[in-house]
Amino acid sequence: MRKSKWWMASMSVVLTAGLLAGCGGNGDAKEGGASSPSGSSESSGNSGSSGSKTKLTLWGAVPAEAGPQAVIDAWNSENPDIEVEYLRYVNDDGGNLKLDTALMTGQDADLFISYSLTRLQKRVDAGVALDLSAKTDYDIDAQMGPDAALWKIDGKYYGMPTKKNMSFIWLNKQMLDDAGLPIPPLDWTWDDLKAYAAKLKKDNVYGLLQHDSSYTATLDGTIAGLGDTNAEGKSNFNNELWKSHLQTLHDMMFVDKSTPEYGEQLTSKMPVDTMFLKGEAAMLSAGEFIFRNANNLAEFPHDFQIAFATVPRVTADQKDFKYPGGLGDALSVNAKSKNQDAAWKFAKWYADGGMLPMASGGRLPSSKSVSSDEAIKLLLQGVENMYDVDSLNKVVFGSFESFQLSIPQQVIDARKEEYEKYFLNKQDLDTTLANMAKRHEEFIK
Amino acid sequence: MKRHSWMRKQQWAGYAFILPNMVGILLFFIIPALFSFGLMFTNYQFANPNVSFTGLDNLKRMFQDDQFYRAIQHTAIFLLSVPVSLVLAFLVALVLNRSVYLKGLLRGMFFLPYISSGVAVAFVWMLLFQPSHGPINEALRWIGIASPPGWFADSDTAMYAIDIVQVWFMLGYNMIIYLAALQEVSAEQMEAATIDGAGKGTITWKIVWPLVSPTTFLLLVTGLIMTMKSFAIIQAITQGGPSGSTTILSLYVYKTAFSYYEMGYASTVSWFLFAVILVITIVQWIGQKRWVHY
Repeated sequence: MRKSKWWMASMSVVLTAGLLAGCGGNGDAKEGGASSPSGSSESSGNSGSSGSKTKLTLWGAVPAEAGPQAVIDAWNSENPDIEVEYLRYVNDDGGNLKLDTALMTGQDADLFISYSLTRLQKRVDAGVALDLSAKTDYDIDAQMGPDAALWKIDGKYYGMPTKKNMSFIWLNKQMLDDAGLPIPPLDWTWDDLKAYAAKLKKDNVYGLLQHDSSYTATLDGTIAGLGDTNAEGKSNFNNELWKSHLQTLHDMMFVDKSTPEYGEQLTSKMPVDTMFLKGEAAMLSAGEFIFRNANNLAEFPHDFQIAFATVPRVTADQKDFKYPGGLGDALSVNAKSKNQDAAWKFAKWYADGGMLPMASGGRLPSSKSVSSDEAIKLLLQGVENMYDVDSLNKVVFGSFESFQLSIPQQVIDARKEEYEKYFLNKQDLDTTLANMAKRHEEFIK
Repeated sequence: MKRHSWMRKQQWAGYAFILPNMVGILLFFIIPALFSFGLMFTNYQFANPNVSFTGLDNLKRMFQDDQFYRAIQHTAIFLLSVPVSLVLAFLVALVLNRSVYLKGLLRGMFFLPYISSGVAVAFVWMLLFQPSHGPINEALRWIGIASPPGWFADSDTAMYAIDIVQVWFMLGYNMIIYLAALQEVSAEQMEAATIDGAGKGTITWKIVWPLVSPTTFLLLVTGLIMTMKSFAIIQAITQGGPSGSTTILSLYVYKTAFSYYEMGYASTVSWFLFAVILVITIVQWIGQKRWVHY
C-alpha cells in the first residue's frame, strides 16, 4: 500500500509536469525556428561599451533575407546612435505566442509588426501597444490614406499600417489566350470565374487554385459589407450570398472538377503558388506575397505572362462587396519599451520609405511620402515583361473599397469547421449555413 | 542516539543532492500547476491584465461545450491505439525472439519510427494516405476496392487513420520492452508445457502472455498516459481537422490556450484531462490484481 501511494504521488507530479512540459515543449520548438536573430550589426561588438548607443529590437514575420535585413542595414549605417536588430517570428499561433510572451514579460521587443487586426487587438488589450494617435509629429491618416482608418481600435492608432495589402486572382495569360478568353473585367462574378475555370481546365491543369490565405476572401468581403450581425443582433452568417458562393465552389470541385476537391487540397498540403508558376493551374487566388516567388525566375522558372483579375463578387448586383486589401503590416511601438522615442523615430523612417527594400517581395509602402513609381520599379525590376501591364495597373495598383477582418479567431475556426463539412460532403448546404450562424451566435452571446 | 544523528546527516546530504532538481520541479512544474488550478476560476486571457474571478463559470461552460464532448469522443478513439499496439508489439516480439533471419536488422527497423522526427513521420504518412494517388489507396484500388477511404481527408476516417500512425509509432518501443520481458520467461516452463501437450497457441496465450503481464501493465499505464497527452502527430498531420474530427482533448487545450488565449478555460479543460488520467490510472491500479502476475 505504501508503495502504491508513492507511485500515485509521483505519478501525479509527473503527469502535471508532463501536461505543462508538453505545451512548453511545443513553444520551444517553434522558438528554435523563429528566433535566429539576424542582426548583422551585432558584429560591431562595441554596442555594450558606448553608453549613448540605443539598441532596438524589431519583430516581424518576413524572413530577414527577403528585405528586412537590407532595411535595418540601411538604418544602422545612417543612424550610428540607434542600432536596430531584426528578429523574425513565424506568423502562426506559436510565433505570435512567442511575440506576445516577449511583449508581456518585457523582453527586448521595442517595435513589432502585427499582420491582422485581431492579433493587434489582443496586444492593445494587453496594454503593450503605444497609442500612436497621440503623436503630434506624424499624421497617419494623411500619410496612409483613408484605408488606414480600418486599423483604428477604439478610434485610435495602436499600430501604423505601412503597406498595401492586396489579394487578387493571378492569371496565366498564355492559357487564357489559348482558350480565347479575354482578361476578365473588374466587376466579374463567381459565375464568370466558374465558366472560365471550366474552359481552362485540362489534364493535369486545374482551372483555379486557391491559397489558404485567400480561401475565404469572398466570404469575408461579403460579410464586411453585410455586417457580422443584423439589426436584431442575430448572426448574418446565414445569408444567401454565402450560400451561393459555397454552392459555386462545391460545384467547381465535384461537378466541373475545375478546382481541387477540398479534402485533397487539405491533406496533400498543395503548394498552390509553385503549381501555378509551373503551369499546373490557369488561375490562382492569392495575395501579393506571391510576387516573391513569381519574380524569382531562377527558382520558379516560367515563360508565360501573368495577368490579374479582382476577387470576383458573388452576384452582379451585390451591394457593398468589399475587396480584400486595404493596408497591412501594422507597426507598433511597445508601450513598455524604455526607448520609445528612438523606436518612434525608426517607425516614421520605416513607413516613409525605409521599408522600400521590401518592395521587391511585393510589400509596397502605403505612405504618400514614398513615390509609388519607385516602389513599382523595384517590384518589377528585371521581370517587366513577365506581367500584363494593363491588368497589373488596374488590379494590383488599382484602388478598391476594402476591409479589415475583425471576426474573432474562435468564430473563424467554427465557420471553417462547418464549411469543411459541406466541402467533404458530410453536411448539406442549408445545415452548414444554419450551424455557422448558430455557432457565431453562441460565441457573441 | 549517536547512530540516529549520523543517519540524519546522511539524509541531509541526500536532500542536498536532489535539491537542484527539486527546485526545478517546484519552479517549473508544481507552482505553474497550482497556478493553473487557480486560473480555472478566472477569465484570464493570455497577456491581458484585466482578470476577474468568475467562480465556477468555466466548469459550467465546459459541461455545456459541444466541442469539449466531441474532443472526449476523439480521445477515446485515439486511446484504442494503445491496446492494439500492445498486442501487435507482443506478437512481433515473440517472432523476433525466436531464431529468424536478420533478427537484428528487423529489430532495428521496427524501432526506427520511435526515434524518427514526428514531423517527418507525419509527412510520410500524409503521402502514403493521400486519397487520390497515394500508394495505399492505389493498392486498395488495385485489389478491387473502387472507392477506398479518404483517410485524413475524410472526417469519418481521419481519427482512425491517426490511430494507425500512432500504433506504428509506438510499436517499436513496446516491442523492445516486450523483447526484454521475454528473456525472463524460463525455457523450463515452456518445455514442461510442451511435454504436457500444450500447443503453440496455448503456450503463447496461457503461459507467455500471463508471464509478461507486469510488462503489459507497465506499457498499458504509460501508454494510455502518453497517448492522452500527445498531440504532436495530430498537430503535424491534420491540425485537428478536417472539420474538427481529430481534435482530441489535449489538442483542444492547446488551441484554447495558445490560439484563442483563453487561459482560464484551457486550465479548466486541462485539469479535467488530468482528472481523467488519474481515474484511469487508479482503476488500472486496482484492476491489475485480476490479471497481472508478478
